[in-house]
Amino acid sequence: MIDQFATGFFMAFRLDTFFMMGVGLFFGMLVGSLPGFTTLMAMAILLPVSFFLDPIVGIPFLLGIYKGGIFGGSVPAILVSMPGTGAAVATTADGHALTKKGKSRKALDIALFSSLFGDFTSDILTIMMIFPIALLVMQFGPPELAAILFLSLIVIAMTAGSNPVKSLMMMTAGLWLSFVGTDPLGGVERFTFGSFELRGGIPLLPMLIGLFALPEIAAVVGRRVDIAQTAKIVGERLHLAELKRCMRTILRSTAIGTAIGIVPGLGQVVAAMLGYTAAKNASDHPETFGKGEIEGVAAAEAANNAVNGPTLVPLLTLGIPGDNVTAILLGAFVAQGLRPGPQLFEEQGAVVFAILTAMVFANILFLIIGYLSIPFFARIVTIKNSLLIPAVIMFAFAGSFVFRSDPVDLLMLIGFGAFGIIARIARFEVMPMVMGFILGGPLEYAFGQTMAMSNGDLIGFAISQRPSMLAILIITPLIGFYLWRRMANMSRVSNAH
Amino acid sequence: MIRRHILKFALAAAMLGGLAAPAVAEYPEKPVTLVIPLGAGGSHDLNARVISSIIPAYLNQAMIVRLTPGAGGQKGTQEAATAPADGYTLLFSHNYIDMLQQHVENLPYDPNKDFVPVARVNYAPIGIVVRGDSPFKTFEDVVRHAEENPGALKMAHSGNWGALFVPAAQIMKARGITFNMIPYKGGGPAMQALLKGEADITMGFPATLSSLLDSGEVRLLATAGNETMVEGVPTFPEIGVDGDVGFMHRVVLAPADTPPEVLETLRTAFKALQEDKTYTRLMGRLGENRDFLDGPDYQKMREAQALEYKALVDQITSN
Repeated sequence: MIDQFATGFFMAFRLDTFFMMGVGLFFGMLVGSLPGFTTLMAMAILLPVSFFLDPIVGIPFLLGIYKGGIFGGSVPAILVSMPGTGAAVATTADGHALTKKGKSRKALDIALFSSLFGDFTSDILTIMMIFPIALLVMQFGPPELAAILFLSLIVIAMTAGSNPVKSLMMMTAGLWLSFVGTDPLGGVERFTFGSFELRGGIPLLPMLIGLFALPEIAAVVGRRVDIAQTAKIVGERLHLAELKRCMRTILRSTAIGTAIGIVPGLGQVVAAMLGYTAAKNASDHPETFGKGEIEGVAAAEAANNAVNGPTLVPLLTLGIPGDNVTAILLGAFVAQGLRPGPQLFEEQGAVVFAILTAMVFANILFLIIGYLSIPFFARIVTIKNSLLIPAVIMFAFAGSFVFRSDPVDLLMLIGFGAFGIIARIARFEVMPMVMGFILGGPLEYAFGQTMAMSNGDLIGFAISQRPSMLAILIITPLIGFYLWRRMANMSRVSNAH
Repeated sequence: MIRRHILKFALAAAMLGGLAAPAVAEYPEKPVTLVIPLGAGGSHDLNARVISSIIPAYLNQAMIVRLTPGAGGQKGTQEAATAPADGYTLLFSHNYIDMLQQHVENLPYDPNKDFVPVARVNYAPIGIVVRGDSPFKTFEDVVRHAEENPGALKMAHSGNWGALFVPAAQIMKARGITFNMIPYKGGGPAMQALLKGEADITMGFPATLSSLLDSGEVRLLATAGNETMVEGVPTFPEIGVDGDVGFMHRVVLAPADTPPEVLETLRTAFKALQEDKTYTRLMGRLGENRDFLDGPDYQKMREAQALEYKALVDQITSN
């Protein structure tokens, strides 16, 4: 094993490997930053390219697209408040507030550094502990997933906004929206009013763009010219002192993200939100979160990237993909004649370690590529409003449309945009609604699976077979109550100032 | 390898240019879109990536893969059904979406009238799988346990009326047993559930399970088809399950009014793929067979499937 690792380590140092990885990273970043184009689609389209390349070149190329794409998603979130994926929602809060203060370059820098730190650390941890993690992955199933998702929703409702009651109302609305469409378990149509367009459910992207980007545009167009003026400044780069201040947050989020990556089915959205709320809770000045706190960006970005390493574990050790991205990677491995699974490390250990080594070095390569390209991205906000606003509106509509190429999505975009503007005037935050919507589907599915597994006797099943699910469900109200008290105290303190 | 394709492409283009220019524009004169009503990374996606990277050499046009998942495959199928019948929009589907769904749901299209098959690209035979340490050594052990404890055995599948659910239902019907059917989001998560011990039994495509089978993590109890796939493992007919059970046919469909000469061009191109070395190699690595079936031949199977699935759905939903 050790000598295979050493062989693989040196096999990875090839010029063409690094070149194609760089191409993948750059391309991924570009695609990720265009709303409506997902990293997943870019990987699917470019998968055949890897068929005709050497495995140590082709697979790092795909990994580059993946890593670049996840960071790319944070660029429009920070600059124009347009998260292209659920994973970038938590970044939008503080990232765009920083842009409005004229600190967009700083926001992009901290996003880049925390993303890469989270990714790099979780990649190394994954390689070092691939077999222990593989064992740990096997401990989590739908019952635990359902309990953790429920706990996450409670934590988000209590801490993400400023008023837990309003947050809960918005979250309930989001959960309800997630029920629209064909029931994923039973195939029954719900709240579709007989319309075929609604059968597939409400699409995420028009909701994200409508709720986050359109109200921002309305605000700029409406009156706040003064804010738009400051937003025209790119600002300074990130200082080392600021990075040091964020280091504790980045480490915490990396740990949270890695742990969440181990539980199959949780994913980046939960990681980013929990990383964010944990940072807010641990902070001495939680009132600055959501108003342009670089720690907020660091917390979200480190956490959502740290998920990546552990999600590869079931693919490599069992040959079973857990999600679409790993399914595409499986295709790339298989087309190369490498069949991931228990024997892969024995038969092809050196090649696998070479690919994993390349994956780790992709982060360092990306630090360079990202650092050099951020000044260009950051300058987007310096474009005149008379050009920038129409461009953003165009991207909002184009992005909502290309996602599924369904004209109905444009109506949804307008509807959610109007809702977002009203919610802002009424001082309701839309984040809990989006989280309720994104996590509602997986929660329902996992709950339905749990019910099927328990043969209807949920309590007996939990006690006799799933004690960890029971434990999480018991502590959930306690954590919720604690967080509620804490937030109430904090807002009292900050009001007293 | 790529160079050879470019050569082939150039040669074909030159030949085409050398022919007398036809009065009507020759199909295809622009890229062909292949709609997949399923998500990224699945076996249809992977198969389509292989096809679309090689078929341009025979079709003289690019093929664009478009994934339109949603509503259990209905969204993409609907898109292809309403597209112009000019051969520029094709559907890459499978028999369960194609022929079974009509009996379960109100579809906004009629699969029998709205589509004609271009070709069956290949099919994937399924197998019954248990964990390596399972007490069930043969399928008869499973049947005995299921008869004594109806509904107790947990069967992990990839979604209602999907590629794992239907053969499992057909087996339950043939042998008069019931499993507790637990849905997962795809075949991968279902197999994970088996390995974790959440489920007692599942279905899987043996060709993609070689690694787990060799290491003894999972055991095959029976495989679909009349021919023995793995030495010592019985076939479905041998365990009392007869008929077209457990085959996922990957099929390319075109809107029904597509002109016959266009269909002919497409069928010729798909047939030519079967002899291509790169295609053979990549499909072999994906673990897929190349059991090609021409459109008209597959149409006969489709008609039989429609009847068979109707009987199955009627029986299951009447309980």
